[in-house]
This record gives sequence, structure tokens and C-alpha cells, in this order.
Amino acid sequence: MMGPWRSFVLKASSIDISTHKHSLVKSSLESQLKTLLPRGRVFTSAAQLAGYGADGLGYKNHIPDAVVIPADAEELVGFMKGAKALHVPVILRGAGTSLSGGPVAAQGGVIVHTSALKRIREMNVKGFWCEVECGVALNDLDAALKPHGVFYPPDPSSGPVCTLGGNVASNAGGAHCFRYGVTSNYVLGVEAVTLDGTVHRFGGPAGGRGPWREDWKRFMIGSEGTLAAFTRFWLRLLPLPEKVWTFRATYPDLKTTEAAIHALVAHTSYPAAIEMLDPRGVAMVESSQMACGLPEGSFMLLVEIDGPEPLVNARVEPVAELLRRAGSKDVMFSDEDELRKKLWKARKAAGGLLGQLSPAYVVQDAVIPKRALAEVLQLVYDEADAAGIPAVNVFHAGDGNLHPNFLFDSRVPGDLDKVELISKRLMQRVIEVGGTLSGEHGIGNDKSSYMPLVFGPDSMRLQLAVPASFNPAHQMNPLKVFDNRRFAA
Amino acid sequence: MTPALQSSISRSNYFSNCTHCGFCLAVCPTYKLTGDENNSPRGRLRLWSEEASGRLSKDKWTDFYTEECVGCLACETACPATVPYGELFEQTRHQHVASNRFKPKLQLRLASAAVQRLLIFNLAMLPTRLLRRMGARVHRFLFPGRPAVFQSTAAYADELMQRHRPTGPRVAFLTGCLMEAAFREINFATLRVLIENNCRVIIPEGQGCCGAFQEHTGLDGVEKLRAQNRRAFCSLDVDAIVSNSSGCGYALGKALHPNQQVRDVLGFLGELGPVKRQRANNDETRVYVDLPCHLVHGQKMEGIPTKVLDATGYHWELAPNAKDCCGSGGVYNIQKPENAHAILKEKSAFLNEAEGAPVILATSNHVCMMQWHSAGVAGLVTRPYEVRHVIQLLDPREEVFS
Ligand SMILES: Cc1cc2nc3c(=O)[nH]c(=O)nc-3n(C[C@H](O)[C@H](O)[C@H](O)COP(=O)(O)OP(=O)(O)OC[C@H]3O[C@@H](n4cnc5c(N)ncnc54)[C@H](O)[C@@H]3O)c2cc1C
Ligand code: SF4
Ligand code: SF4
Repeated sequence: MMGPWRSFVLKASSIDISTHKHSLVKSSLESQLKTLLPRGRVFTSAAQLAGYGADGLGYKNHIPDAVVIPADAEELVGFMKGAKALHVPVILRGAGTSLSGGPVAAQGGVIVHTSALKRIREMNVKGFWCEVECGVALNDLDAALKPHGVFYPPDPSSGPVCTLGGNVASNAGGAHCFRYGVTSNYVLGVEAVTLDGTVHRFGGPAGGRGPWREDWKRFMIGSEGTLAAFTRFWLRLLPLPEKVWTFRATYPDLKTTEAAIHALVAHTSYPAAIEMLDPRGVAMVESSQMACGLPEGSFMLLVEIDGPEPLVNARVEPVAELLRRAGSKDVMFSDEDELRKKLWKARKAAGGLLGQLSPAYVVQDAVIPKRALAEVLQLVYDEADAAGIPAVNVFHAGDGNLHPNFLFDSRVPGDLDKVELISKRLMQRVIEVGGTLSGEHGIGNDKSSYMPLVFGPDSMRLQLAVPASFNPAHQMNPLKVFDNRRFAA
Repeated sequence: MTPALQSSISRSNYFSNCTHCGFCLAVCPTYKLTGDENNSPRGRLRLWSEEASGRLSKDKWTDFYTEECVGCLACETACPATVPYGELFEQTRHQHVASNRFKPKLQLRLASAAVQRLLIFNLAMLPTRLLRRMGARVHRFLFPGRPAVFQSTAAYADELMQRHRPTGPRVAFLTGCLMEAAFREINFATLRVLIENNCRVIIPEGQGCCGAFQEHTGLDGVEKLRAQNRRAFCSLDVDAIVSNSSGCGYALGKALHPNQQVRDVLGFLGELGPVKRQRANNDETRVYVDLPCHLVHGQKMEGIPTKVLDATGYHWELAPNAKDCCGSGGVYNIQKPENAHAILKEKSAFLNEAEGAPVILATSNHVCMMQWHSAGVAGLVTRPYEVRHVIQLLDPREEVFS
């Protein structure tokens, strides 16, 4: 009689103590945060945290211990000053559109949402630069710049909502980065706050690399929130192109599509964008509200050229001819804004359109030498078909930046395991052909397990030393990029 | 959450359709206002799905964030995955009200009961019509207008049909609850415009409130009203069923059979090519057109047809961010006045500097008109302007109140 009774009492009291302790810890964290952010907001209740559990990979959930929204940059600096003493991880979050598990609390901790830091502080049109706060949404910046005849080229498809803070921290790319280059090509300066609350400025409106020869701001770009919190940036602008032509060409198979891509890359018209949708991507667009009359079963290339009007006009026919010669019987082109926008909208919404097909998806972001394109894509299809997992490919073909989307249902046991296995095999092949893990989405905690496929132990040790010198205990966004980068309180 | 809702959710797989892409954040008025992910479509969907799956227990914050939603449906338009947010929101709000997690304000509960008995409602609103007709400023939402106090829209339709004997398309017209009880002059203008454009107007007997009021508040009664309207509209032999309020038209559309499309009167006129009004050469009037959410995001119309706006004869342009919500949200400006005020503040600021004398803000939903009118009363717009329904600008007997 005595035994079970005793153990029941013990169990009950131990639950009691631990919940009590947990709520004490939580309430003390809450009160500390409220002291650090007298004007901003502090969330600790379960339903307030639930909305911050995931990024663009909605099926993965990591509930933080708290979320804060600093009222302005000054308050963010104040928070960083006291954050070390909180003894919990600190995770910066822009719009939460990352596709690699970047802005999520993988090891618990406080999420710092930068949504209130959305001021465009200066547009220096004559100097071709602007100064923005980290929470400015990319398309809001575009809209503000456009009337002045200038633009900021990096254009990730998440533009309507993603923030410049997220763009810089993941060194975002986009469709037009084939010619224009990625975020790092346009960052003139970064203002960053480290965990001791000190504010550092790397570069500035005049660009420059830093206090001396080294380009310190490059350490910041692509650091995925592991080094410091960025408050503002100075960004390089370009004059808006005078004339833009958009081409759409469809191909019957991978081989001809690949031939067209090689020809485009080598062509002197130097396209701004070379994007590809495979037949499943085409079918997805055509059965959606974004339908734009693409032929069934085809591979589609979306190509754009731009520049001074007479020059670009003279290049239209040669590009069309090149696309035809590669095997397309269906080349169309237009300089009309409405038509062009429709095509681009369909391309850029592709990630979201996947929701019409499947409850969840994993997207890989490998970059491969273009000569291996058809071969690696075929591997994607073969592996996915064999596992019964639908794969849709919509990607930046000019850069060889693949985005195979593997569709699955997270509620079906075993589905995710299959996707992870296919992804791993794919990554192995990518490395064998001389490619790399991520072109633009970052590593986060979704691709960190592939890091040892590319880097040996010595290289990993060197890379880990960088975040360790900024925050030795790895308090900033732990468990990201490196699987073993764990915060030790 | 009730088992019924839970099963409808799992059956349709609605929540999990959301890929978490975040595109909807950019258009959501409450996210823009607060910067709080929970106060966004993606956030709300997350809270509801977490609760439905049992991972999150009932929480006052889930209730709070649900109440915060304006119901503008901009997120539906922005969503590439076609998550039926509006439907989910409506079901959730109804559940929250039914289980006492949320209680609409007393005046809304009373009004909801009243609009379900139109005869009594029309009688009770007689003083309002009278006061408006006399030009009294009775309430911050009551924009100027001169409604008939006693003659109903149905009686006026009979009179006009006898007098003009149009021969064109047969059109059944939804007279609405508040439209008929308080803003009858807009119904009258609609009749004159339709008949001038040779439409044979029928006012179906026994029609009721469209049910939008109950949808907006989460109160009971939607199904009863929908059934009543099905009885009134579904057996008619007409070329079109039209509504002059985009919110009511959208709500009536949900009640009727899928093959019976409810047309917005302006969209319908756009196809006919309405008679054009002539204006004096030196007319300096400027019309700024705002597009109701339930027209563009609910009924999924591109906007108000250019042909219709050109036919007003006025110099017109779209208001800045015309497709963004004005904060009215049906009854949101009563339920959440501070948010509605903040949204309107941003939206209406342009009017202070807008060119034109006089300046008219025109839209096509009476609740949006009420909200726009309140911008002046609240001091958000400090220069004179008039609020009109676009149909009033096509009216052969257009009245000017300024
Ligand atoms: C539909 C869709 C399409 C996409 N298309 C593209 C594309 O074409 N190209 C592309 O590159 N990406 C794309 N992405 C991925 C994603 O949008 C980008 O990585 C984007 O840069 C993330 O911005 P964000 O504001 O959402 O940042 P978040 O997702 O919030 O954060 C991303 C990373 O940045 C860090 N971070 C954010 N703000 C700060 C700050 N102030 N200081 C320090 N660190 C910070 C976070 O900790 C995290 O590690 C797409 C995503 C979706 C959902
Ligand atoms: S209906 Fe409007 S307010 Fe509600 S979540 Fe959607 S966009 Fe936001
Ligand atoms: S746009 Fe649609 S799919 Fe994307 S987060 Fe919003 S509701 Fe989900």
C-alpha cells in the first residue's frame, strides 16, 4: 500500500515545485525585460509566444520564453546592454520569412522583433545612397525610391514583407541578382550593437571597408543574427533602368532548357534575370489565381534584359533568337509593365502558391556549377519520385541557385524523414559536383546538419571562432549555422 | 472551439494550407498598426490552429487578437495559398461569442436584434431619418443627407417604374437594413440611376438584412437571415440581383445559391455603360475614390469601373492606398474605436492637402461613408469635404449639401 502512495505524493509535489519554479523564472524574466524596455512591448503569455514559434518554414515550431518589440533603435541598444545578464538566448527577428529556421528560438530565449524600427532615415538621391532602419520592408523602400528614379537592386521574392535587417543578416539574393549581385554588393555600412550594448559602425554612406584595410562590414552581412543586432544600414542605390524587356520561353525538356540557360549566361546582352519553373511549377501557377497562359508540361524560362533604351531595344531580337535556337517554339516578350508584372508576380508568389498543393514544404537552396544543372535536377526528380514525395522546382537558374521544394504533410508519420533523406542525398551530390549549401536563404537550424558535408573540422573551428569572439557564450541566436553552437548560460 | 468547427477545420485542412510565407503581414492594418505578429493574419491563424490542435489552451490573448481583426480581408487577396481567412475568422468569432469568450458591446447586441425585424427597425429609426432630413448633426457617423422619412424604397420604386416604364434588364434590388432605415436617400438615388439606365427594378418582398451585421459581431442569426433572403431572392426571374453596398452585396452572395451572383450596382452599371452627367466647364470639384474592402477583397472586383467614374462627369482620381482599409470594418469602429481611429488617421491625412473645391470623398459602402465622415468630426481632416456614394454622383437629381 505504502509504495504507490508515496511515489504519488512525491510525483505530485515535484510537478508542483517545477511549475512554480518555472513561473518564477518566467515572471522574473518578464520584469527584467520590462525594466529594459520601458516604452516597448514585452510578451510572455502562451498565446503571445505562439505567433512567434516559426519562420517561413511553418511546420517547425520553437516557442520562445519571451518576445520583445523595442519602441525604437535607442531602446534596442538599451535592451542589448542588459541582455547579457538575462542569461537566455537573444534572437533577432525581422518579418520572419526566413526559409532556414533563422529567426526562431531553437534553444528558447527572447525574440527581439524589429517591427517598430521602420524609418527610412535619409534618401540621398544625388549621392546614390540611403539610410534605413533595420525593420523597413524591402518593397516599402522600393516604393519610396521609385519616384526619385533610383532603386535598390536585391529583390528576394519575399519583398512585400521581408525586412532589410533580415536581408542583410541572410545576405539575401533574388531574381535580378544574376546581374546585379546580392545584398552584400549594396551594403555601404552597418550599425551593429553587440551584447555588451556597445554600438559599432562598420562603413557608412561613403562605403569604405572599415577602420583600416579590412572589410569589417562583410563579417556582419550573412551573419544570421549570430554576431550582433543591426539597427540601421547605409545602402547603395542605382539609377532605374531606362528600359526593360521581359521574355518568356518554354521548353519541352530539361536538356533544351539547360542549353538555353548556358547560351543566355554567355550572351553579351548580359541578362538581369534568368529564372526557371519546371512543369510542376508551371502547373501550379496555371491552376491558381496567377495563371498566365503557360503551356502544360513545359519548362519555363523567365528572362529579363534592361538598360539604356536604344541599347536594350537592339538586344531584344538577338535574345529571342537565342531562346528559339535553344529549342523553344514559344518565345514571347514584352515591355508592357502590366504583362511583365503578371509574370513576375506568378514567379515571386511561387513559394506561397505551394500552399495550394501541400500543407508543408521544405525548400533547399543549394548552388551548383551550371554545367551540372540537368544532372542534379534529374536526381531531385528521381529521388523524390522514388520516395513518393512531390518536388517542385522554381529557381534562380542563371546563378545555378536551385530551390527544389519537397512537399509533404507534417501530420503523416515518416513524410518528413523521407524529405530529410532526399535532401541529404541531394546535398551530397551538390558537394560532389563542386556546389555549396546555400545561395541566399542562409543555414539557420534547417541546414546546419549539412555543414560538415562541406567543411572539415579545422574550417569549422575557424568559423566558430568568429561568433565566439563577439559573444563567447554563444548567446546570440544559438543552434544556428553550427549544430554545436549552443548557449551555455 | 466546438467539435463542429474542429471537424470543419480538419476536414478542409484550412489552417495547414497556410505555408507561413508572411505575404499577408504586409497588407494587414492591425499588423501595420502594432507590429505584433500575433495581430496579423499569419499570427491569428497560428493561434487558432495551435488551439484547435490542443497545443495551446484557451487564452485571453487569443481572444484579444481575434477581436482585433478588422475583417477587411486584405489578407485573402494577398495570400498565394488561398487560405480562406474570412471564413475561418467568421467561424472563430462566432464560436468566441457563443462560448462567452467575447461579448460584443451592448449597443451592437441591441442593434443586431433590431435589424432582424426590419419593420420595427425602420420605425425605430424614423427620428434619425427625420433629423438627418432637417440637417441636424446627430452623431459622428451620420453623414449629411436628405432621406425620405415615410416613403419606403419599395414604394418609391413602384412610383418611378409607373412613371418611366423602363424596358431593359430586370434587376432585383437589396434595400438593406441601415441603408433603408437611415440612409434611404442612397437607395432612392440608386433607383433613379438604374431606371434612367433603362433597368426594370424589382424590390423583392420579404427580404431581410443581409446578415453582415451578425457576421461582423459574431452574434447569432446569420443562418436565419440567409434563409429568409434565399426565400426572397432565389426564385426570382431576373437578369441580376444588385446591391448598392459592397459589404451587404458580399454577405448576400454567401446566402444565395452559387449560380446566383450578387452584383455590385456599380459593377453592373459599368457593363451597361451608364448615362453620363454633364458638369460646368469651370467646375472645380475633385472626387477622390476610395474602394471598400468588401468590394475588392470580398467581392474580388478590380475596383469601381472607370466607365462609371467617368460618367460622374467629375474630375476623379483614386484616393491614395485606395484598396487599404479605412478602419470601418462594419462595426469595428464601434467595437475597437481606438484602432479604427488610428487606421483612419493615416488613411485620411491626404484630404487635408488634396486639391479641389469642393472636395468629395466617394466610396460605395455606407459603413465606409460613416467612417470617412467621422474623420472630419474627429478633427483628422480639418478642411471641408463631402462624403458621397458613387451612385449619388450619377444621380440625375444629385443634391449638394455643402
Ligand atoms: C515566399 C518566400 C520567398 C522567398 N524568396 C527569397 C529570395 O528570392 N531570395 C532570398 O534571398 N530569400 C528569399 N526568401 C527568404 C527570406 O525572405 C529572406 O531570407 C529574407 O531576407 C528574410 O528577411 P526577414 O525580414 O523575414 O528576416 P527574418 O526571417 O526575420 O530573419 C532572418 C535572419 O536574419 C536575422 N535578423 C533579422 N533582423 C536582424 C537584425 N536587425 N539584426 C541582426 N540579425 C537580424 C534573424 O535572426 C535571422 O537569422 C523567401 C522567403 C519566402 C517565404
Ligand atoms: S482581415 Fe484584415 S485585419 Fe483581419 S487579419 Fe486579414 S488583413 Fe488583418
Ligand atoms: S499569405 Fe497565406 S499562406 Fe502566407 S502566411 Fe498569410 S495566410 Fe499563410
